[in-house]
Amino acid sequence: MPHAGQSTSLGIASRAGLYVHVPFCDSKCGYCDFYSVAIKDRDTSPLIDALIREIGVRVPDSGYEIQTIFFGGGTPTVIPIEQLGALLAATRDAVDLSKVVEFTVEANPATVNDAKAELLVRSGVTRVSMGAQSFIPSELASLERLHSPDDIPPSVATLRRHGIKQLNLDLIFGVPGQTLDTWRESLRRAIELKPNHIACYGLTYEPGTRLTAQRETGRLQSCDEDLEAEMFECTVEVLAAAGFHQYEISNFAKPGCECRHNLLYWRNEPYIGIGPSAAGCIHNRRYKNVSDIGGYVRMIGASGLAEIESEAIDRETLIHELVLMQLRLNEGLDLRLFRERTGVDPRELFAEPLGQLSSSGLIEWDDAAIRLTRRGRLLANHVMAELVAGSAVSGDVALPVIAA
Amino acid sequence: MTDLRLIRNFSIVAHIDHGKSTLADRILESTGVVARRDMREQFLDDMDLEREMGITIKANRCTCPYTYKGETYMLNLIDTPGHVDFHYEVSRALAACEGVLVLVDATQGVQAQTVANAYAALEVGCDMILVINKIDLPAARPEDIALEAEQVLGLDSSGAIFTSGKTGLGLDELFAAIIEKIRPPAGDPDGKLKALIYDAKPDVHRGVICHTRVYDGSFKRGDKIELMAAGRDYIITEVGKCRPKPTAAEVLGAGEVGYFLAGIKTIADVSIGDTVTLSSDPTDQRMPGYQPPQQMVFCDFYPGIGTTTDQLREAMEKLWLNDSSFTYSTVGSDALGIGFRCGFLGLLHMRIIQERLEREGNVSVVQTAPTVTYEILLTDGATQKIESPSELPDISGVEEIREPFVTAQMIVPADSVGQIMQLSMERRGRQVKTEYLSSTRVMMTYDFPLAEILYDFYDKLKSCTKGYGTADYHLKNYEVGDMVKMDILVNGMPVDALSVIVHRDKAAYRGRRLLERLKKEIDRHQFEIPLQAAVGGKIIARETIKAFRKDVTAKCYGGDITRKRKLLEKQKEGKKRMRTVGNVSIPQEAFMSILDPED
Ligand SMILES: Nc1nc2c(ncn2[C@@H]2O[C@H](COP(=O)(O)OP(=O)(O)O)[C@@H](O)[C@H]2O)c(=O)[nH]1
Ligand code: SF4
Repeated sequence: MPHAGQSTSLGIASRAGLYVHVPFCDSKCGYCDFYSVAIKDRDTSPLIDALIREIGVRVPDSGYEIQTIFFGGGTPTVIPIEQLGALLAATRDAVDLSKVVEFTVEANPATVNDAKAELLVRSGVTRVSMGAQSFIPSELASLERLHSPDDIPPSVATLRRHGIKQLNLDLIFGVPGQTLDTWRESLRRAIELKPNHIACYGLTYEPGTRLTAQRETGRLQSCDEDLEAEMFECTVEVLAAAGFHQYEISNFAKPGCECRHNLLYWRNEPYIGIGPSAAGCIHNRRYKNVSDIGGYVRMIGASGLAEIESEAIDRETLIHELVLMQLRLNEGLDLRLFRERTGVDPRELFAEPLGQLSSSGLIEWDDAAIRLTRRGRLLANHVMAELVAGSAVSGDVALPVIAA
Repeated sequence: MTDLRLIRNFSIVAHIDHGKSTLADRILESTGVVARRDMREQFLDDMDLEREMGITIKANRCTCPYTYKGETYMLNLIDTPGHVDFHYEVSRALAACEGVLVLVDATQGVQAQTVANAYAALEVGCDMILVINKIDLPAARPEDIALEAEQVLGLDSSGAIFTSGKTGLGLDELFAAIIEKIRPPAGDPDGKLKALIYDAKPDVHRGVICHTRVYDGSFKRGDKIELMAAGRDYIITEVGKCRPKPTAAEVLGAGEVGYFLAGIKTIADVSIGDTVTLSSDPTDQRMPGYQPPQQMVFCDFYPGIGTTTDQLREAMEKLWLNDSSFTYSTVGSDALGIGFRCGFLGLLHMRIIQERLEREGNVSVVQTAPTVTYEILLTDGATQKIESPSELPDISGVEEIREPFVTAQMIVPADSVGQIMQLSMERRGRQVKTEYLSSTRVMMTYDFPLAEILYDFYDKLKSCTKGYGTADYHLKNYEVGDMVKMDILVNGMPVDALSVIVHRDKAAYRGRRLLERLKKEIDRHQFEIPLQAAVGGKIIARETIKAFRKDVTAKCYGGDITRKRKLLEKQKEGKKRMRTVGNVSIPQEAFMSILDPED
């Protein structure tokens, strides 16, 4: 039952998450492939106006009741306070906040002052996700982050003072030059700040980023794969000892403090995306908005929408996405839900690879769910690929037809 | 029927790019066979692939009328392929001619294929005319080149004709020389029919079209003929000449070159080199016929992605009916399933057949590393030819392994002689002779084991000579070599499709290189994978693919799902293409690329 808002079969749902993408940052970090631009002296108001317009069009039209809100980016807290206020107000107007169980805003150290913190809380924000990334100056430098480790505690304190109780800190491991000791140090300093949620991401060399270019031209030596695996394992242990349980590959929380909005993605539930480059998935259709500010503002101005891609989530696609997303969760791939939404039992569909993967100790299951083992989590991509490649659906065996 | 005196049958041989096709076009055009406005570039090369690869594969032909001193001659141009792999087609075409134009680029001079082709023409006993081409180019040195050709090929330079296929310069002189210097065909127009089938091509609508050269007698529509070697009779439905499109004629007579149709269904019913005669009045002089083409290079074709064995078989059958110069038979591999062992005249031939299969047969092909034929002397005195390492009998029954040797002619700039000697030594070459063609160019003759020059020799030669070197080779003999079979073990399991026969001295080196490439092709698994090369059970090289420990996407949120799912789906397709050997997934590509030396 935990999947509120998710109805049976291909899922006509009544509840959804709302994501709003604010594509501005103080400066662009070398590893980042999110769509965002350095704010400099830029006039951000046309974009904010367009966001407000899209919210006004999309949210009521969708027919969904909004359950969680997430402002991400970019760094939503870098925009001028009046504009931030207008955006929050528009959100309040479009959404029944009394039904919202979680309202998160992303922030970076040194981008929140008292006024902004006060505004957030007053506008219904319940949770802040802070990009701390590391507490080691040299690592922050190689990530091309603007802030210093010392900016992190005061920013956290400011938010707390104004009443933000739910706090996430993002950290990155596998940074060039990082050692197991410096990683432990960052974890320790993060825990010390008493957040109730910590996300730890292995550094990824995304195509087209400066970081990737530096690696390719040999100006930077990436972290050894074995060391990275050790860091990952160490993370799970250190955080468990501090009371944070792993509930998703990169996400750790105190009991009951899991991010409700992100859980929605991992449980393949509907979400509305607002803003340039944002994606949404509603009524079994995924859309993606145009990824450039000028184009976005023009398209919204013309029609209130800015989609450039859209795909129907058919059954095979859904099967792949269920595997891709739910296996990330420690709770695993929910058997009943899988059956309801696809018409087949995953244990039958994946019978062959499941056997092999469990004998290699990468996967396990019971009557409720299929889950990665601790070792399997490190090899999640491999496990997922084996599952979908070995599934009966990828051969000639047709799936039973079920009514939509 | 044309008076024998007024017929000339000739062919053009040249090194690639010396302008043979262009000159042929000009000949067609200036004799009015093809109007200038209809002129496609290089009319005689009518196969797409030939155009792309810039070579002539199938010999083509055309009959052109030309008036000289008040009389109209029939000039029959028979085109020949320019590449060494197609030697066999060259001699087919030359056997139907009395004369040959040896075409040499006035800026490049004699090159390896000029030599090889001119020798082939000499063997057949053709009258030869030296033609120095591209004289319109500012860098042309026609007199020097003519002298060079005289020295290398023994052709009289004073009789050389200077032409430009581009501007048409020298064409009248060329026609005059063809008529004056090439002997008219001999033969008895009233004798018993004796004609040679020098080529045959399937035609979807009309059955097989047989290209023929008549020596004695004549034949026409309605005649009952016999193909003497095949021992089968047919009724002629059409005779004619290529202009260059097949054009029906009343009769084909002695000395003429043309084609006939006789309701022959498939090319398998025609053997090239067969003698045609009249059933009612057969000749008693059957022609000696052709040597069947010699396949020198072998590899296996397996069905690739999205292709079944049956589809591949069908495509091979179809192509073979069109071009029987390659051979194929069914083989099985533990790693790759059911496929076909194919034999080719050379590497270029192999590439062309593979491309034609994929293009015309619409199939995808996985190709294993090419290998040569070995001759095995067994302890009981019997000999046996093997075309694949897997056919090598148990070593205890083998007295000796003999490998094919070729004689190669390399024409290179004098300042690269040292490097070429070095390269040749590395390839187990034996120097035969070195001749200076001029102060700057040298012809080096070497004997090589064919296997050593199969892969990248030509590229290496080109890079040692800044692109100026050329090479050509022909099969010499089989010689005893200290050859061993090298097995490749992946995770302890021998992979049959990766075995190779190598010279003992080179086994360790080849083994190491092979494993290095294999290591790049095989993804890391969750366990460590040992790769080993073994000769006679003894490990001579090893590599290890480390186990991977971490393969997980760090972030996957709402905006990432589509992209990550597509990656997953791509990975899934990749996994489907893997062959599993001893628990290890080996991508199909590994089977071809590991022996594909890039370095
Ligand atoms: N300048 C000049 N270029 C020529 C002449 N004949 C051929 N070419 C060029 O040389 C190249 C090779 O000619 P082609 O006829 O295809 O050579 P083939 O490989 O011997 O058939 C082409 O780029 C032609 O345009 C010529 O007489 N003069
Ligand atoms: S602050 Fe965050 S969104 Fe902005 S560039 Fe850096 S990593 Fe990307």
